[in-house]
Amino acid sequence: MGRPTPLLVLATALLAAVTQIGASQESTTVGGYGELHYTNTSGPNTPASVNFRRFVLYLSHSFDDRLTFRSELEVEDAKIEGGEAGGEVALEQAFLDYRLTDRLTLRTGLVLPPTGIINETHEPPTFNGVERPAFDHDVIPTTWRELGIGIWGTLPLAEGLSYRLYLVNGLKASGFSGEEGIRGGRQSGREATFANPSFTGRLEWARPGLRVGGSFWYGGSSAGDTLLASGTFVVPVTMLSADARYDRAGFAARGVLGTISVSDADTINALYGAAVGSRIAGGYIEAGYNLLYRLAPRSKQMLTAFARYEHFDTHAEVPAGTPRNPEFARRITTLGLTYKPTWNTAFKGDYEVRRTAAGGGLGDVETLRFGVGYQF
Amino acid sequence: MLAMQAAAPPAKVAASVRRIFGGEATTSLSVVGSDTVLRVARNDSLLGFAVVRSVKGKDQPITFLVAIDSADRLRDIDILVYREPYGGEVAYESWRRQFRGKSATDTLEVGRQIRSISGATISVNAVTMGVRRALADLTAWHRDGMIR
Repeated sequence: MGRPTPLLVLATALLAAVTQIGASQESTTVGGYGELHYTNTSGPNTPASVNFRRFVLYLSHSFDDRLTFRSELEVEDAKIEGGEAGGEVALEQAFLDYRLTDRLTLRTGLVLPPTGIINETHEPPTFNGVERPAFDHDVIPTTWRELGIGIWGTLPLAEGLSYRLYLVNGLKASGFSGEEGIRGGRQSGREATFANPSFTGRLEWARPGLRVGGSFWYGGSSAGDTLLASGTFVVPVTMLSADARYDRAGFAARGVLGTISVSDADTINALYGAAVGSRIAGGYIEAGYNLLYRLAPRSKQMLTAFARYEHFDTHAEVPAGTPRNPEFARRITTLGLTYKPTWNTAFKGDYEVRRTAAGGGLGDVETLRFGVGYQF
Repeated sequence: MLAMQAAAPPAKVAASVRRIFGGEATTSLSVVGSDTVLRVARNDSLLGFAVVRSVKGKDQPITFLVAIDSADRLRDIDILVYREPYGGEVAYESWRRQFRGKSATDTLEVGRQIRSISGATISVNAVTMGVRRALADLTAWHRDGMIR
C-alpha cells in the first residue's frame, strides 16, 4: 500500500472540517414498540379476550459521540390499578454505553442477559407468531433484565464475531417454580439483592443471511437466605443455550436450544415447598416463507407463512423427593401468517396446538390468536 | 432513518479512499449543496468520486462512504463509524460487496438484491437507503457536470 499523498491528506482534513459540524451535539431519540393480542383458547369457560399486551417507549440520549443512554419503559396490559391484579409498569432496560473503541464498549445499568434470540431482540415485527415462543417464557424467562456492568464489542479473530459479557445480580431461588422454572427468580432491577453476583455472556457470529450464537448464565441464587445456604456461588444456576437464524430468498428459519441446571433444587423445594426441576431443557425450531417473494417480486411487503415446533420440559430432571409432573413436558405446534406492510409493522394470526406428556390433561389446549405489532 | 450529520476521522476517510482506489490515488474536493465530494484521480486520469454521509440507525448516526467509478458504477462502500449496539455487521465485506457494480438505475431493495442480516434490520435498511441516495446523487451530479 502506498503512502498517502500530501494532497490526499489535505483533502481529507478539509473534508473532516466540513463534516465536523454538529458532530458533538447532544441528541435525544424517541421510539417504541407495542403489540395487542386477541386470544381464543379452546375449552369451556375460556371466552376470547383482547389485550394491549405491551406498550413500550424507547428513549435514548447521546451525550457525545461515545456516551449514550438507552432505555425502554413498558406498560403491560394497558393499565394498572391499586389493589387489582394484572398490569405492570416497568423499566425493561436502561443503561449507559461508553464506546471506548470500535471493538469495545462499556455498559452499565439494567441490562438484558444475551440469552437466546428473543430476550434481546423482542420487538413484535422481528418474530413470527402473536405471542413470543412459549420456550421464551418458561425456559428462557424473557424479558429478562438485571442490574450490572459489562463489556460488548467485536473480536478481531474473524469478521462477524462479536461478544457480550456482563456481571449482574443473581437470581432469587425463592421465586423458582416447577411450571415456569427460574422465571419467578428474576429480580428485574427492583431493590435486587447482590448476594450472588452472576455472569452472563454471549459469543455470536454473523454474516448476511446467517447469525449463530451461544450464551451462558452462571451464578448463585440463595439471595442471602442463609436457611438455604451461605456463600456467594451457592445454589448455582447454570444456563447454556445456542441459537441460529437463517434466511435466503424469501425463506427464513430460526431455532434455539437451552438447558438450565438448578443444582440444589432439592434444598430449594424442601425450604420453599416448591417443585423446581433440577434440569429445565428444550428448544424450538421455526421455518417460514415469504409468499410475496415470488408472487409480487417488486413488493417490499411480506406475507410469511410459518410453522414452529417447541418441545421443552421444566421437569427434564427432578431432584429426589420431587415427583416428576408430566404436564410440564410440553410440545407446542404453531401455524400462522405474518403480514408486514413495512419492515417495522406486523399483522399476525396463528393457531397453536399445545400437548403435554400427561396426555389429555388440562394442558392440552388449542388457541387461536390475532395480533398487531409495531416498532419505530 | 433520517440523514444526519456526523464526523468521520480524516484518517479513516483517507484509508477508505486508498483501499478502494489504490495508494496512488490523489483527491481533490468540490462542494455540491451540503455535500463535499472527493474527486479521485491518478496521473490526471479520473478514477471516480466519493462522498461521506451519515444515516440514522436506531438512535445513532452511521457514517459511511460511497465511491463510484468514472462510469457511475458503484465501486465500493465503507462504514467509517458505527456507533450502535446491534447491527455492526453492515461494516463487513460479506455484506458490503453486494453493492459493487450497481448503478443508479438498479433496484436496491433489502430482502431482494440486498440480503438482510437478522438482528441488524434497522442498520441494513438505513445504510441501504443511504447508499441508494448517495449513488443517485453522485450519478446525477456527474451527468449534469456539477462534478467532473
